[in-house]
Amino acid sequence: MSRYIIRRLIQAIPVLLGATLLIYAIVFALPGDPIAALAGEKRMDPNIVAILREQYHLNDPFLVQYWYYLVGLFRGDFGTTFAGIPVTDIMAGKFQVTINLALMALVMEAIIGVGLGLYAALRHGKAQDSLVLASTLVLISVPTLVTGFVLQLLLGVKLGVDFFPVAGVAEGWRSYLLPGFVLAGVSIAYLTRLTRTSLVETLRADYIRTAVAKGLPRRRVVGRHALRNALIPLITYLGADLGTLMGGAVITETIFNLPGIGQQLFSSVYLREQSVVVGIVTVLVLIYILANLVVDLLYAVLDPRIRYE
Amino acid sequence: MRVTNGARIIAGTALLALGLAACGGESSTGGAAAGQPVRMELGEPQKLFYPGDTTESEGAEVLGAVFAPLVSYDENKQVVNDVAESIKTTDNKVWTIKLKPGYSWQDDAGTPLTAQNYVDAWNYAANQDNAQGANGFFSRVEGWADLNPGEGKTVSTKEMKGLKAVDDTTFKVTLTKPFSQFKTMLGYTAFYPLPKAAFGDDGKITDAYAKQPVGQGYFKMDAPYNKGTSQTIDLTRYDKFPGEKPKFDKLQFKLYTSAETAFNDLRAGNLDIHDSLPPSAVASAKAELGERYIDQADAGVGYIGFPLQYNKIYSDIRIREAISMAIDRKTIADMVFSGTRAPADDFINPLLDGYRQGACAVCTYDPAKAKAQYAAANGPKTLELGYNSDGPHKEWIEAVANNLRANLDVQVSVKPFEKFAAILDELDAKTYSGMFRMGWAIDYPSAENYLTPVFSTVAIKTGSNYAGWSNKEFDGLLAKGDAAATQKDGLKFYQQADDILIKDLPYIPVYFYRINAAFSQHVKGVKINLLNQVEWAQVEKVA
Repeated sequence: MSRYIIRRLIQAIPVLLGATLLIYAIVFALPGDPIAALAGEKRMDPNIVAILREQYHLNDPFLVQYWYYLVGLFRGDFGTTFAGIPVTDIMAGKFQVTINLALMALVMEAIIGVGLGLYAALRHGKAQDSLVLASTLVLISVPTLVTGFVLQLLLGVKLGVDFFPVAGVAEGWRSYLLPGFVLAGVSIAYLTRLTRTSLVETLRADYIRTAVAKGLPRRRVVGRHALRNALIPLITYLGADLGTLMGGAVITETIFNLPGIGQQLFSSVYLREQSVVVGIVTVLVLIYILANLVVDLLYAVLDPRIRYE
Repeated sequence: MRVTNGARIIAGTALLALGLAACGGESSTGGAAAGQPVRMELGEPQKLFYPGDTTESEGAEVLGAVFAPLVSYDENKQVVNDVAESIKTTDNKVWTIKLKPGYSWQDDAGTPLTAQNYVDAWNYAANQDNAQGANGFFSRVEGWADLNPGEGKTVSTKEMKGLKAVDDTTFKVTLTKPFSQFKTMLGYTAFYPLPKAAFGDDGKITDAYAKQPVGQGYFKMDAPYNKGTSQTIDLTRYDKFPGEKPKFDKLQFKLYTSAETAFNDLRAGNLDIHDSLPPSAVASAKAELGERYIDQADAGVGYIGFPLQYNKIYSDIRIREAISMAIDRKTIADMVFSGTRAPADDFINPLLDGYRQGACAVCTYDPAKAKAQYAAANGPKTLELGYNSDGPHKEWIEAVANNLRANLDVQVSVKPFEKFAAILDELDAKTYSGMFRMGWAIDYPSAENYLTPVFSTVAIKTGSNYAGWSNKEFDGLLAKGDAAATQKDGLKFYQQADDILIKDLPYIPVYFYRINAAFSQHVKGVKINLLNQVEWAQVEKVA
């Protein structure tokens, strides 16, 4: 088991190197001088631009710049922004926010998505089932941007519900409720449908019939026998979704003014801040790899026939 | 059956929670109770704070609350002394600045402000080794060249010859050439002083200072600003401030990345002042807020420029005039920008002394004349119009293109660039030959600032003269204005220079910017000054 984990982690190294190189090259290829971008729409003193370019190795060829970055990275130095602020400082604060948001979304997905799916599966073919299916379809087809603004306007501005802050993270975990729901929205719908289908199928399996025939209480049949097997595709979905939630939070973070990684990534790409973009992506890749590893390990817990050796 | 009940409970609670909360509405909106600070919208500052390197508006807003400037600007657009007791000159070349007594730094000891603090700060900002964004602002001071020998060369001195503290409260600035507008510049962020404590042992400004600058103005920062984590910047009134103090004691800047979100927060009662309403919010703000909506002139100008230096197709002035007359500025300002811009009719913005209404006759929409003149000049059959798509420009550029298509009977291709820097790169490299959008926001409120940095011959290299337009007479008039005895005399020459611009049209002015701001019912007396900053001494809290 531990050998498997170590092997998986070693496999992550080339993935990380490849990802950083790729991202670094992409940001490098973006048009415009990053130092000039610092000055907004005005032209900076050309002499000062030259000095700053020298200071940040911007006159060197791509591979040399990347080498400087890598050497720094091995020393645990993620570099600084072009305004001289350490990237680690920026990432520390922003990742905290996005992780909170992603976890909130994940919990909502798991509770609402699986819950609704279960509800629909057990009423398979009935009116309630159709209602759930129809409402998830609505949730899937409305873009995050719309749900976000509508909920914010409706709850925060029109109704003035203090429980859901309109923007910012000043209210602690409550600040993440609304944005978490908006971010999770589409995934909730998918997860509901996935749970429903998976469960409906499992409930038709022979071993379930056997369990029912043995006279086991329904709660035990559904909870221990059916749900446990149906969970495997759901866990895969949730694991992959964690990565998506971390990376795809730009819109939600902007609408609700959460100072997270999505926003930061957006503005850093805009300013051509290679070191920030690559730093963030590196951490995101790591999270993705770890999340996938956890998912794989969970399979073994759910289905003992799956072994990692 | 119990399972079903369980499922229902799980599924139901989440929905119930949403529903219950929604029903509880109208209970109370977050109000500005007695202890609440005045909360103001701010975009995330790009850098940490210190005068010489804070050239962007967000950081400047914070510094404006922490520092007091030497001069400010009154209701009649005139420069008035603020921290300066007097600013005297006989030849516009040597300036003697005397400070008012009583100003002190916001440290525990209340160290008095001295003339040397200005000398230190300015020398620091002007030194190329410190790579400060505002370095160029000191280029008129004698000795600036010694501090800026160029890339790769070492700086031999740390002081500008033209900058000397005479005594504790007086310092003298000698310029290389007379400049009648020098006094006007002194209200800008770059000219704030720095306390001794700002500098570390290596002579550089310390990180600690840049995170929590100690100033000599209205407010003192409560805690260091940590870029990345801080979501608010909290300030407390500095009670030893000798000038007119704000009438409230706590100020809070709240950081937003979306102007729409900030506006929603204002409507929900969680924000008090928002000075950059997006066009999408303007229509509802007018109707919803009434007197709490501010619509006033902003000093910026938007242009369309011609690459005259290397593309000959625009070289006939009749063609440039025809293009200008073919643009329906009023409709664009009203419809495309929902009134958040005003049609331009001069190169100098109406906010400042020197603006003349209707000065640019060919800025008036006249499609018939435009068409005739364009045909007479045998103008090109295809035109190209470039803009940067990272700003709100697509719509108005498309509108201009449609105007040209309809009124000049030409084909117009619109070319988007990813960002503004990309256009500038191509213009520098002379690889883009179409017309391009351009904008200018002032650094200091003087008519001169619309001319020298954008249209003078030196500005081709160091300024924003991307047209590559050069006119000796124009340069001469600027020099005359700079050397004039008073600011008023100078203005005459600047207006004559402006006339040459209007005659020659290297750029055509299209619109003037406007400030669209709003404030909540918890405050009153919100005024925004010529530098786009809130006048904190005027703001009051409403009980």
